[in-house]
Amino acid sequence: MRHHLPLLLSVGWLLIVLGVSIAAPMISQVNPLHPVAEPLLSPSQHPPLGTDALGRDVWTRIVYGGRLSPGSSFAAMAITVVVGGIAGLIASSLGGWFDRVIVWLSNSLLAIPGLLLAMLLVAAMGPRLLTVILAVGFGGAPGFVRLSRTMFHQIREQNYVTASVALGANRTWIAIHHLLPNAKNQLLSLATTHYAWAFMGTTTLTFLGLAGDPSIPEWGVMLNAGRAHLIDAPWLALWPGCAISLTILAIHRLGAWLSQREEGY
Amino acid sequence: MVSHSDRSSIGALTTVGRRFIEGVLTAWTAVSLTFFALRLIAGDPIASLLSQGLASPDQVENLRRSLGLDAPLFVQYLNFLAGFFRGDLGTSLFTGRPVSTVIVEQLPATAQLAFAGLGFALLFGLTLGVISAWKEETPLGQFAASLAGLATALPVAFTGILGLILYRQLLVVIPLLSVVKIRRLFLPALLLGFASAGAIARVVQAGLKETMKGPYILAARARGIEHGFRLLWHALRPALPPVVSLTALEAAFLFAGTVVTETVFSRPGLGRLLVTSILQGDYPIAQGLVVLAAVFYTISHMLADILAFTIDPRLRRVT
Repeated sequence: MRHHLPLLLSVGWLLIVLGVSIAAPMISQVNPLHPVAEPLLSPSQHPPLGTDALGRDVWTRIVYGGRLSPGSSFAAMAITVVVGGIAGLIASSLGGWFDRVIVWLSNSLLAIPGLLLAMLLVAAMGPRLLTVILAVGFGGAPGFVRLSRTMFHQIREQNYVTASVALGANRTWIAIHHLLPNAKNQLLSLATTHYAWAFMGTTTLTFLGLAGDPSIPEWGVMLNAGRAHLIDAPWLALWPGCAISLTILAIHRLGAWLSQREEGY
Repeated sequence: MVSHSDRSSIGALTTVGRRFIEGVLTAWTAVSLTFFALRLIAGDPIASLLSQGLASPDQVENLRRSLGLDAPLFVQYLNFLAGFFRGDLGTSLFTGRPVSTVIVEQLPATAQLAFAGLGFALLFGLTLGVISAWKEETPLGQFAASLAGLATALPVAFTGILGLILYRQLLVVIPLLSVVKIRRLFLPALLLGFASAGAIARVVQAGLKETMKGPYILAARARGIEHGFRLLWHALRPALPPVVSLTALEAAFLFAGTVVTETVFSRPGLGRLLVTSILQGDYPIAQGLVVLAAVFYTISHMLADILAFTIDPRLRRVT
């Protein structure tokens, strides 16, 4: 039981974030975009976490950020997993030239750090939250192609696939009936581990101001806004920073547990 | 009759040669892919100037002609490659200055930060790795291991800001710390290094655990050599090649880290340049920086392989 404590805490934190983000309008009746009190009030009874430079309620913004930050990085992760997973599946099941070209392209793109690749995509599409999501999604894909291809290859080496080939199954049939169903659990653990990267990526890009709009209640945007008041109001940076770090640590722990469980089989 | 040493040096040469060609091809593919991706996604790269009201339609038309953007995409690509080999990465859309000049201006600041950061990364990484392998079962070893885990997980944006807040508080107690070098270089490099240390620590620890099982360690033990010395001298050296390769990769990825660190600490440099160029829609600068990053990554990756080859004689025999 003691051994699982970090895992339980992590899952607990993720559930809290999920619950709070769903119930956001009920938890706080204030509008996260409008001022409610004097600017730069310190945390007290009301408002609980203080107000920012424009007098907006930080607690409400953190709560709504629980929708935007995990939500947008989840979308980015989903793009990576779908694009990278399909490319890996195609490379692995068609083999030959398809495999060589996909491996070559993804390896070449890996010469650019994922974060920089994402920044380049934002440069092409213009700074907006939507482009940050797309950029982190596609920026992470080259690395994911490599992972999923290795995984599908390992499954293809199994005896039941060989038996299926001997019985006359073609590549598409094997991909749909053997590779995908058997990759389910492993894909889940790879996706969870990648979610941590996507979360770090989106919050870093929004922190750099690449989401464009500085007023949106997103944790990375809020962390950036807090930089201007590190002396007079350090909590402005501390709350979103803690929220980001706790979420990344929790996803990491969950991912580590999932992949350990995979290896245990 | 070719002697054994000759044969191994010929083998080494062909391996290095093959590695070199592979590296050049990788860099070329990466550069080409970024070029086409940027043009195909962005459509007209200078349309943003028009929409921001920074130029009149006539001016945009002239600019398009002078940048060669009215030519077919493939011709533009050939021009870009030709320029690239001449060291010409185009001109900034806003200042009209050559991209290469702008980059060279900002390079020293980032190189300084990245090298200092790499030094800290190696220092922390080796220390944490050795401690976590040496004292594996003790609380100290577990602490080192979890610190290494934290280093990889925590975003530089947050650790940087945390460091800055703590530094400001410390400054009140010890005013002596207010040396510009500390705030501008020491602190950012420390936090940048910490972020890269986690991966290095993990590789050092895994490598030590592996090499400690080697027969030469048993032999060293039989000769009565102490545990600590065995670990640091006999086991650490064969565990180093993967650390060297990783460090070279980290060196390239450090550039991505400097983007955040430079923003947090308001330092000038390439990272800052990249962010401002993206926010302004100055695509030639962003493209030039990413292309350079790809080339730098390929070179450092190549050097790492060759260096690993030199450190560990066993690698030479395999090929």
